Amino acid sequence: MLTLFDLVIRSMRKNIKHYYLYFFALIFSVVLYFVFATLQHDPAVIARSGGRMGSAFMAAGVLLLVIAGIFVVYANAIFLNRRSREIGLYQLIGLTKRTVSRLLIIENVLLGIGALVVGIGVGVLVSRLFLLLLMKLVGFEGFVALTFSGIAVLQTAIVFIVLITLTSLQMLVVVRRNSLLSLFNADQAGEHPKQPKPVQSAILSVLGIALIVFGYWLSGRMLNEWLLINMLAVLFTTILGTYLIFRVTIGWLFYQIRQRKEGHLGLKDSLSLAPLMHRLKGNANSLTIITVLSAMTLTMVAGAYSMYYSAETTARASKPFDMIFLNDETEESFGEEFALELEEEEGIEFNRHKIEVLQTAATFDVSIPYWQETRDSTPMVVVLSGDQLHAAGQNVEIPGNDTAVFYEPSLYYELNHNELPATLTVIENGQETPLQVTSVENGAVMDSIVGFRQVIVNQQTFEQLKERMRQGAEGAWNPVVDTFQVPDKEQRIKASEIFQQEKYRSGDFGYISDYVTYYGSIMETNGLLIFIAGFLGLVFLISTGSILYFKQMTEAEQEKQSYATLRQLGFTVQDIMRGIMRKQLFVFGIPLLLGLLHSIFAIKAASFLFMTDVTVPTTIAMSVYAIIYFVFAFLTIGYYRKTVKAAL
Amino acid sequence: MNKINASTKTVLHAQNIRKSFGTRGNVQQVLKGIDLRVAEGEFVGIMGASGAGKTTLLNVLATIDRTTDGTILIDDADISRMKDKQLSAFRRDKLGFIFQDYNLLDTLTVKENILLPVSLGTMPKKVAEAEFNTIADILGIKEHANKYPHEISGGQKQRTSAARALINQPSMVFADEPTGALDSKSASSLLGTLEDVNKKQGVTIMMVTHDPLASSYCSRVVFLKDGMVYSELYKGDQTRQAFFQEILKVQGVLGGDSVDTI
Repeated sequence: MLTLFDLVIRSMRKNIKHYYLYFFALIFSVVLYFVFATLQHDPAVIARSGGRMGSAFMAAGVLLLVIAGIFVVYANAIFLNRRSREIGLYQLIGLTKRTVSRLLIIENVLLGIGALVVGIGVGVLVSRLFLLLLMKLVGFEGFVALTFSGIAVLQTAIVFIVLITLTSLQMLVVVRRNSLLSLFNADQAGEHPKQPKPVQSAILSVLGIALIVFGYWLSGRMLNEWLLINMLAVLFTTILGTYLIFRVTIGWLFYQIRQRKEGHLGLKDSLSLAPLMHRLKGNANSLTIITVLSAMTLTMVAGAYSMYYSAETTARASKPFDMIFLNDETEESFGEEFALELEEEEGIEFNRHKIEVLQTAATFDVSIPYWQETRDSTPMVVVLSGDQLHAAGQNVEIPGNDTAVFYEPSLYYELNHNELPATLTVIENGQETPLQVTSVENGAVMDSIVGFRQVIVNQQTFEQLKERMRQGAEGAWNPVVDTFQVPDKEQRIKASEIFQQEKYRSGDFGYISDYVTYYGSIMETNGLLIFIAGFLGLVFLISTGSILYFKQMTEAEQEKQSYATLRQLGFTVQDIMRGIMRKQLFVFGIPLLLGLLHSIFAIKAASFLFMTDVTVPTTIAMSVYAIIYFVFAFLTIGYYRKTVKAAL
Repeated sequence: MNKINASTKTVLHAQNIRKSFGTRGNVQQVLKGIDLRVAEGEFVGIMGASGAGKTTLLNVLATIDRTTDGTILIDDADISRMKDKQLSAFRRDKLGFIFQDYNLLDTLTVKENILLPVSLGTMPKKVAEAEFNTIADILGIKEHANKYPHEISGGQKQRTSAARALINQPSMVFADEPTGALDSKSASSLLGTLEDVNKKQGVTIMMVTHDPLASSYCSRVVFLKDGMVYSELYKGDQTRQAFFQEILKVQGVLGGDSVDTI
């Protein structure tokens, strides 16, 4: 007497080929989620970062959960579809729908528990690796201990029990909803290509491309008062355009090509063009999602890596000097004391220069809205002498008389640089001094604590302005900045430690962070960012790759008969594989290509976040992504090869 | 045994064909030494009860399967010694196939399906087009050229399959139960066309069937029993009806498919 449980075990043993796919998907999700939960609750991580890391992890955890959920449900749907004949057969021999559901659910629970146990086991092994990686990225050098986290196990278990329940429900719905007939026919569920309506398709095809081009165009012109609306418009047009390309444009192009062949399709096209056209409708949604997800992942990873990569430049842009003191009287003595300590006690070599700063009101006659808007309450700028900066070792251009170089990061991005030279009118004491601004630059030449709109003039102009200000009203601000540069890296770190002492912190301006400390904090933030982006990116990438792989696996099964026929007709495995590879080039290549294009434009639009040219880090990040992505294409081709070989 | 005119060329010559399945200890011999010679322009039917080895013989002769022993010459080429790759090329260039389930690619139109065998080859597009027109005319499927398999009837599908088998002007066409999935009207119509093609174009055809009516269209019928040739019948000058009766008689003696004869 065969009990239901025996039947479950037997069918699982027989179906191992189908199961391993679903099983792998489950285990994979468990491992990643568990690693994430472990890191989230790891005392070292929490201690290292305070609340900042915690909330970043929390947000990423939710995202991870959503992706894992979608992935598992999707894999389950494919898995169920592949087994529909078996489900139909059980019903045909007289099992009730309820019994069949119970059978499937027992299987699912067994699989789920198995995956949970294996996944947590693997997770324990690999989480240390991830922790070490994270600590390295945030610049922590020291011993890292990993404690086994009971909370992480519990959290993972709860999440996946919910997921198993969800997939069990999904099975219940599939069995309940489907008729016997549809279960048997699920294999042949391809659609039949219809002749596209010529005018409508042509219009939509062109519209798809036009929408994407418009999105790209707009993405380069987003930085104005409509920023949010612009961003939404770019998202909307590119996603809709992507969908239209998959749903209409490609089909339309394929149809034109096929028409032109007049029946002389050739083997390669018979195995690529024709089956692609056959499944265009069914694939449009998933290919669009995969493209958008790829674009998102690529942008996220490339962006985070670029931030990490340009951390030094970013730090330098706000902290051109290693340490500074501002000139009120107590701090004047701080500077002396500090110099003495560096020199005599530690033997650290340094360059010390005093640089004057003038703070003043100014107007600028360029067509940037926010400069005009604030004209009533005139914006403040700080004026510095190019000669003094030059003497202090800053590589700045020294302007001629009555001309200036303007350092202003946001203006640098918004200004149409063809409008230069423009006139910056410095207002001192009611007196207006026009300065010809020859160029507007990114970054800063002085610590931004003095102000981030920095105007460089030559010494002569500087003296004139200072003179005029001295005569002027009260409240004028003309501090002297005591700057220190330590050329040697090791010594700079030591100097930073000395600078951190409590006794140097009681000035009027409170604590002014030095370069080393600031760089450390940037590295910490960016290290965390790149870790989370990389982790999520990997999850996204593996999910999208697996979904494509699973889909192609199903297609390969469905087309087995065609391969058998072709081989009987005398086509070799190589001949057939050539056609299949062309198909895979489309299936994998087009989403990747579009995703890459999307993300290149996204990174370009966000380039104001980076202080450097990010071509190198972006290229590296995108290449790594593409390489891992193509592993799935090769796996798919391998599966097809096996199918074609076994077909005869 | 050989009543064929000596001047006619032999297309297929099989000697002592043996084929066993299974592994050591559980070997089942399906073909037990079959000799067969097919001359150019013949329309040979292979009959026999289920399990007599009909399909196995066809697969072996058609280079889809390999023999355990024996030699097969087609067009004087020894296919039993060929490598897989050579066999593929040989099938593509020299043979045509018609299957019971049509085996059309449903992603391709009728015309694309028919032109598939010449899709890799060296046949110029113009020649292929002309060839297609001729064959599609003979088989009466020209008006369906741009339809997909799911849009046409079973008979039309099998005609498409036949056209695909003929497009590369093969030395020999193998048909495996081509009428098995067709209603009787479509079946006779297809068989009539095959007979026509055989007579007018001189195409050599070998057809496996268990249907005596189908085999009555052949010029010769070979009966298999337990993996060996049991007997042969030549149509000669008799009418199809007379030949049909004769086939029935042999089949009666042979037993097996006796249900069909009622």
